[in-house]
Amino acid sequence: MKLLAATNRYYLAVVAVLFALASGVLYYGMQMALRHEVDEQLGLHQRQIEALVRVGQPLVATPFADQFVLSSWPRPLGLADTILPDPVEGTCVPHRQLTFRLLAQGQPRWVTLRKSLVETNDLLAVVLGVMLGVLVVLMLSILRLNQWLSKRLWRQFHRTLAALRHYDLQQHRPLVLPQPRIDEFAELNQAVTHLSQRLVADYESLREFTANAAHETQTPLAIMQAQLEQLLQVPALATDPTAAPLLADLYGATRRLSRLHQALGLLSKIENRQFGPTQRLNLAAVLDEKVDQLAPLLEARGLRLHRHIDQAPVLAMHPGLADSLLHNLLYNAIKHNQPGGSITVRLSGEALEISNPGAAIGGDPSRFFERFRKHSAATESPGLGLSIVQQIGAYYGFAVTYGYAVAGQVHTLRVAFGHSAAGPTT
Amino acid sequence: MSTRMPSECLRFLGPVLLSHLMKLLLVEDEPALRSTLLEALRQGGYVVEVAPGFDQAYEKIKLYRYDCILLDLTLPDGNGLDLLRALKADGSTAGVLIITARDAIEDKVAGLDLGADDYLIKPFHLSELNARLRAIIRRRQFQGQHHIVFRDLLVWPEQAEVLVRGESVPLTRKEYDLLLYLLANPGRILTKEAIAEHLCGDTVDTADSFDFIYTHLKNLRRKLQDKGADNYIRTMYGVGYKLSSE
Repeated sequence: MKLLAATNRYYLAVVAVLFALASGVLYYGMQMALRHEVDEQLGLHQRQIEALVRVGQPLVATPFADQFVLSSWPRPLGLADTILPDPVEGTCVPHRQLTFRLLAQGQPRWVTLRKSLVETNDLLAVVLGVMLGVLVVLMLSILRLNQWLSKRLWRQFHRTLAALRHYDLQQHRPLVLPQPRIDEFAELNQAVTHLSQRLVADYESLREFTANAAHETQTPLAIMQAQLEQLLQVPALATDPTAAPLLADLYGATRRLSRLHQALGLLSKIENRQFGPTQRLNLAAVLDEKVDQLAPLLEARGLRLHRHIDQAPVLAMHPGLADSLLHNLLYNAIKHNQPGGSITVRLSGEALEISNPGAAIGGDPSRFFERFRKHSAATESPGLGLSIVQQIGAYYGFAVTYGYAVAGQVHTLRVAFGHSAAGPTT
Repeated sequence: MSTRMPSECLRFLGPVLLSHLMKLLLVEDEPALRSTLLEALRQGGYVVEVAPGFDQAYEKIKLYRYDCILLDLTLPDGNGLDLLRALKADGSTAGVLIITARDAIEDKVAGLDLGADDYLIKPFHLSELNARLRAIIRRRQFQGQHHIVFRDLLVWPEQAEVLVRGESVPLTRKEYDLLLYLLANPGRILTKEAIAEHLCGDTVDTADSFDFIYTHLKNLRRKLQDKGADNYIRTMYGVGYKLSSE
């Protein structure tokens, strides 16, 4: 629910109650005031008649017979409400009457003065109608005003919201927001800007740390690896059959560690956008090269590779990244394949699709691209391959998506080239 | 083809031709790595001189001639690429193999553009270094018209031809690559990782990919055995393989 709708709802509820109350108060108040007025008029007439009678004037009947009634018989005195038929219209009309007693020429007389309430009722209706009409118009215009104001005043807020929504930490730039005149929004923008600055700074230091750590470990690793390899050549090693495999394991672990650091280094370099000029590459040629390179692995696992090249796209990419992209995709399809399975590569002008059969993988597909994400604990790979694929995709504005066809149990990774081919997105 | 001689005659000449006259300059600032590389290269039969920094290296390339220079790009007192420029400016015929921890592809590309023959990223396998060195020297010194002799084996790299006692051995490309790799490291134990990466590119996750090396080695062994070259490739249990000289 929108904020405006929410406030309007409360507003309308309060106004409705107030409206009902005000109508009631107005109605009864006005009615009382009008009756009082009528009563006063009747009293005034009574005093006038009494004054006339006192100076000896005779009581004369008026043409308005129903408004002035003379009676020789006692009648209840005082003010009273009554309903009389209107002689002209023939309908029953409420009246107010005042009865008093006086002595005219020594004779006691009971005089009843009456006043029709039709006019006061009409007046009441008109006044109430006008008042309520004005109230309704007032309320509607306030609603409209609110709507217009919220559109105008909240524009700043929506601008901030849109900026936040499009904010990308990977661009390494803090948010730049305007300073609105309204204090609350200005404070919000300040807080958001401050937050983004801190985020960028933290991210920056983390990134630098990763890059430096990955780089600095390469030299000691190189020493370790070279010396271990030399150690393996020592003839004395042959005398102890258990020593060499231990060393070989150590060697393998060193290698894995350095590979891990290389992958992390690559990731941080992509994030830092440290890849220089792009070249126009024929992806089909890169694919052929990669398939050729991985052929022994395919052969050893008994995997068949099907290539469907509709159209060989020429993309502006860094050759190293194109190589890495294809390598990781193909290697992923080899690693997670079934024995004797197949890999299908579809290349067209729009996208590259690599599919391989395999059992369904639990978990959220979007998390497959996370770093150190492994599908099985047994594998010794660090689980950075798809993360690299996604980073390269993001770098060039390619959409990388994962799909699973339950029917054929086929995993598909799709890299849609989009409209890029113009180099890295900025 | 006219230069081809009976393998018997070359049997003792081969290694001499390839290694003992080869003079290398190793430019590397990290002492531990430098000494290990020095040891490994000397074991490979090369004459090796070392330069721990830019200035010494610069002096050496100005004064002496080398067959190949192993060049670290990140030196404390200068950029290895400048050494490469100096070499090329002098019209040096020395081969250059770049060794760098900087995995910046830009550097590699720049190095190759400047005329380096090849590059290796630290950390690397010493056996891979040997293979690359051999390939560079073969290309540079003999324009490929060179043969490799090992026991009864004679290999003409230019033609990718393998002979055992004069008899041709038909090998697939990968088997041939594997044999050449072994021949570049005679007597050295080659780890499974090194072989796998040599055959499949250096980004293969070797831990779960060793099965394919085994297949190729088995086939290569069988083919050599068929021609009478028995027991050339030894399996070092849990470690790797070795081209045995006895």
